[in-house]
Amino acid sequence: MLSRTAENLFWAARYIERADSIARLLEVGYRISLIPNTQSGYNNEWESILQTSDIKDEYLFHYKELKKNKIEFFLLFDNKNDSSIIKCIEKARENIRMVRTAVTLEVWNSINSSFQELEKIAEKKYSSRELPTIIDFVKKQVNLIRGTILNTQLINDGYDFLILGTYFERADFTARIIDVKYFILLPSANYVGSQIDNFQWSLMLRSISSYRAFKWAYGNNEIDSKKIIDFLILNMMCPRSLIFSIEKIDHHLKRLKIFYKQKTSAESSISSMHKKFQKLSAQKVLKFGLHDFLKKFILDLSSVYKNLEKKYFLGAEK
Amino acid sequence: MVGSRYVAEGTHMFNETLSNSKIIKHYSLIMDWAKSLPESIIIKRKTEAEDLFKKIGITFSVYNNFDTTERLIPFDMFPRIISSLEWIRISKGIIQRSLALNAFIHDVYHSAEIIKAKIIPANLVYRNPAYEIKMAGFDVPKNIYSPIIGTDIIRTDQKKFLVLEDNCRTPSGVSYMIENREIMMRMFPELFESLKVEPVENYPSFLLDTLESLAPKKCSKKPKIVVLTPGSFNSAYYEHSFLADMMGVELVQGTDLYVDENITYMKTTRGPERIDIIYRRIDDQFIDPITFDRSSLIGVPGLFDSYKAGYINICSAPGSGIADDKAIYTYVPKIIKFYLGEEPILENVRTWRCYLKSEKEYVLKNIEKLVVKEVHGSGGYGMLIGPKASKKKIDIFKAKIKLFPENYIAQPTLSLSSVPIFLKKNLPPRHVDLRPFCLVGNKKVKLVSGGLTRVALKKNSLVVNSSQGGGVKDTWVLTE
Repeated sequence: MLSRTAENLFWAARYIERADSIARLLEVGYRISLIPNTQSGYNNEWESILQTSDIKDEYLFHYKELKKNKIEFFLLFDNKNDSSIIKCIEKARENIRMVRTAVTLEVWNSINSSFQELEKIAEKKYSSRELPTIIDFVKKQVNLIRGTILNTQLINDGYDFLILGTYFERADFTARIIDVKYFILLPSANYVGSQIDNFQWSLMLRSISSYRAFKWAYGNNEIDSKKIIDFLILNMMCPRSLIFSIEKIDHHLKRLKIFYKQKTSAESSISSMHKKFQKLSAQKVLKFGLHDFLKKFILDLSSVYKNLEKKYFLGAEK
Repeated sequence: MVGSRYVAEGTHMFNETLSNSKIIKHYSLIMDWAKSLPESIIIKRKTEAEDLFKKIGITFSVYNNFDTTERLIPFDMFPRIISSLEWIRISKGIIQRSLALNAFIHDVYHSAEIIKAKIIPANLVYRNPAYEIKMAGFDVPKNIYSPIIGTDIIRTDQKKFLVLEDNCRTPSGVSYMIENREIMMRMFPELFESLKVEPVENYPSFLLDTLESLAPKKCSKKPKIVVLTPGSFNSAYYEHSFLADMMGVELVQGTDLYVDENITYMKTTRGPERIDIIYRRIDDQFIDPITFDRSSLIGVPGLFDSYKAGYINICSAPGSGIADDKAIYTYVPKIIKFYLGEEPILENVRTWRCYLKSEKEYVLKNIEKLVVKEVHGSGGYGMLIGPKASKKKIDIFKAKIKLFPENYIAQPTLSLSSVPIFLKKNLPPRHVDLRPFCLVGNKKVKLVSGGLTRVALKKNSLVVNSSQGGGVKDTWVLTE
C-alpha cells in the first residue's frame, strides 16, 4: 500500500473520532447549562472544555469572553477554529477522497453524506436551542461511518490503519480529559464524598459517555476517585479507557508486523506499554502522581506514533 | 475539459436521427422508446441517474477565485448512435492519424525529415512553445510519444466526419464514456437487448496492455505502472482515480515518488518500491521542478533524469504537445501523406492560415462568414465568430490579423450535427461532438468502439464544454 494511502486512512479515522469527542464535550456543556447557578453564561466547565480540546488559546485570540453560545459555535462550525466538528468531518472526507478507492463505496457515501448534511446545518444561523439536535446528529453520523467501516471494509492493512487512527485519537483524548480535571481526582480530605465531587466526577464520566457504564461496572455505590481512575485508565471493559486503546493499537500493529513480515519499533514499544498497563493498579498510578503519569503516557504514545509514521507513512525506510 | 468549440452554427443543422426527413432505422427504436416514456418516468430516471453519479463520486471541480466546489456533469439519457459502417471509417481515420502524429513527433525531435522536405516550415516547429528542446535527440521507449490520443470529431452531414482537434498530451473524458454506459445499462437494460451495442468497458484493460508494452530500457521484470495525478483538487481527479482503480495500479501524487541514483521509487508501507512506467495526468512543465518549472510542487525532482537514463517511461512523453498544436493541425493531412504514404481518411476542417498572404487576404475579405481564432489561445479566448460579431469587433480583429497574421487562423462556420435530448415532454435536437480514445502501444493500436459524446444543452448553443453548461451522452457504436 502507498504510504500516503495509509496516512490518509489513519487521519481520516482520527478526525472522525475527534469530531465524536468534541460532540461529547459539547454534550457536557449543554448539561451544565441546564443546571442553575451559572453566572451570565460563564462557567469553569466551559474553560475545561476548551482546554481539553486544546483550543483555549485560539478561542481567546478571537473572542475576549468565555461565552456559552460563542464557545458552542466555535466548537461546532466556526471557520476560525481549525478543529471544529465540521472541520474534522471535512478533513476526514478530504482524506478519504484522496484515497477514494481504498475504501468501499458505502464508507465513502457515509462520510460524504455526513459532510454534506452537516454543511447544510452549518449554513443556517446557529442558535443554542439547536445544540442537542446537532450533537445527536453528529454522534449518529459518526456511528454510521464507523459501523460502515466495520461492516463493509476488507480486513486488510488499510483497515488496520483506520482502526489505529481511531485509537490513537481516543487514547490521547481520554488522557487529556483526565489531565485537565486531574485535581478533582486527587484524594483530599475536604472534598471527598462531597456533593461537588460527585457532580464533577459524574460530569467527567458523561463527557466520555461512560456514566452509565461506570454504574454497571462498579455498582451503584458511591463514586470515588480511585474507582474512576481504575475505570478510565485500567478497565478493559470501558471502551474509552487508556488500556482499551492501548490493547487495540498493540493488536493492530502486531497484525501489520505479520502482514508485512517486518518488525517495527512502534510495535515493540506499544507491546511493552501494554504489558506494564496490565500490571498497574489505581493505587500505583496515584503513587506515581496522576499528572506525571498522564504526561508520561501522552509522551510515550506520541513516540509510538512517531515510529509508526517513520515506518509506514514516510515510506523511505528500507 | 478542452478548448471550446469554435465552429459557429450555419443555417441548417444536420439532425443525425434523420435521413431525407425520415427517422433512420437504428434511431427509430430509440425514438419510439423515448416518446413512450411519460414525463414522470423521465424525471424519475434522471434523478436516479444523478444519484448514481453522485454515489460513484463522479463530480468535477469548478474553479473560481474563492473556492472549489464539486458539480455533476449533466447526463442526457438519449443515446447517440453510430452505425458500424460509420464507425469503421472513423476508427480507420483515427488510427491512421494517431500513427502519423507519433511518427511526426519522433521526427521533429530527431532528423526532422519533414522540415528538410519543406513540408512544414521550421519556424512553426522550433519556435513553437510546445516544442521541448530537452527532448531533442532522445529516444523514447519503443518510439511511442503519445500512447493515448483523444481526437475531437464533428459531423456536418450524412457522410462528413471532420477532425476538429487532436489531443496528444493528457486527454480526459474516458471515465465518462465508461460510466455513462454503465448507468444506461443499469437503467434501461431492455434497450440493449434490441440493439447490439459494442462494449466500452474493456478500455482500462486495453490501456494497461498499451502502457505495459512501453517499458523503458532498464526494466527487467514485468513493468510496475502508476497513474500520476496533480491531486484531489484537480477537475479530472475522479477520472485519475477511476483509471488507476480499473487498471489495478496505484494512483500517486508527486510527493509519493522520489528518485535515487536515477531510479524512480514510490513510498509504500513496505518501504520503497521501484516503478517503471508513469501514466502522468499532469502537464509537462510540472513533472520535474529541477528540469522544468521550479515552482512546481506536484512534480518529482529528478524524474526527467531518470527518464533520460532509461529507468522510467513517462506517458505521454514531454514535448508531445507539438503534435496537437493548432498551428500544426492544419498540416496533419500532409503529415499523414508524408509518413504513411496514404491519403487521409478523415478530413480536417478547412482552415486558412493568415501567415500565408493569399489566405490572409481571403480571411480579411470574408471575415463575416468565418470563425477566426488565435493559434495559441484556448478556452474560447481570442476568438471571433464572424456571423455573430459586431462591426466593431470585426474591425478590431481585422486590425489584429494585419498586425500579427501568424497568430491567427480562420475556419468556415459549419453546422455541427445534432441529436435529441430529453427536455420535459419534448425531444429537441442539440449540437454534439465526439471524442474517441485511441491507444498506441508497441506495434499495436487499439480503439475502443465508442467515445465521449458531449452535447450543448442550451438551444442553438455550440459550446459543449462541461464548464459552460455542456452535458454528456452515452455513445453507441452498433455491431455487425
